[in-house]
Amino acid sequence: MVVPDFDPDDNALAARAAAGDDSAFEAIVRRYQARVFRLACRLTSDTDAPDVLQETFLQVYRHLSSFRGESQFGTWLYRIATNAALMQRRGTKRRAAESLEEYLPRFDADGVHAATPAELQVASHVEERLDRQTLAARAREVIGRLPDHYRDAFVLRDLEEMSTADVAQALGLEPSAVRQRVHRARLMLRGYLSDLVGVKP
Amino acid sequence: MTYTCASGVELLMDYLEGVLPPEVNTALEDHVGGCARCTAFVASYQATPRILRDATTAQLPAEIETSLQAFLRTHTTAFKKS
Repeated sequence: MVVPDFDPDDNALAARAAAGDDSAFEAIVRRYQARVFRLACRLTSDTDAPDVLQETFLQVYRHLSSFRGESQFGTWLYRIATNAALMQRRGTKRRAAESLEEYLPRFDADGVHAATPAELQVASHVEERLDRQTLAARAREVIGRLPDHYRDAFVLRDLEEMSTADVAQALGLEPSAVRQRVHRARLMLRGYLSDLVGVKP
Repeated sequence: MTYTCASGVELLMDYLEGVLPPEVNTALEDHVGGCARCTAFVASYQATPRILRDATTAQLPAEIETSLQAFLRTHTTAFKKS
């Protein structure tokens, strides 16, 4: 797991930083900056991620004294980073998210998968068919094409590997709604990967 | 209870998260276990998050780290000595 990979010392570090120890705050920044940047890229864009990074640590600095230590510090910091990313996106003019419905699985009249087993498993092997750079570019692009409500749930749950309960709390949703959104996103993205290597989902 | 591929797909996330009632779980496993199409589909459905995670691991560029520190030097009392 990426997100729960938090050092238990983080809570102690946060307490020192809240008490005015700048070196503790600097240590927090160094420890989390790469992860926050990656999250920001996934939720916004390469262009907006540096602003999200700055805003996140400014908010962390300003609100350290309100961190009570009841939760993991990293979870608390991730929530701030998520909010900063969502706020940044709100202020950015984006092209309208596209529906990716065309990538949903197809069934015949009896509810049987229309594709063959060989076609259905091809998405699992996309890394063997495409070079890393191409796949990275396509992945960034398609995640940006997801409608926001699918993108946010998918990024936090599946890319950042937060628990469904933590995603629900971060996005103000019921866990069942998180599962539904992540599921739809997985279906569309799975179909997209399949399509990337020329197989109808 | 018997499932088709289509109704099984709709339950997949809940199945993997372990939130389905036991009898639904069993019925779903019965269908998927005997269906080559669903077996292939489930494998690719489960692979999708990992593939996209590995494909979106942006590294923090040194110049962006530098501008973060400059920003925090301006707006906080930290990073005063470099």
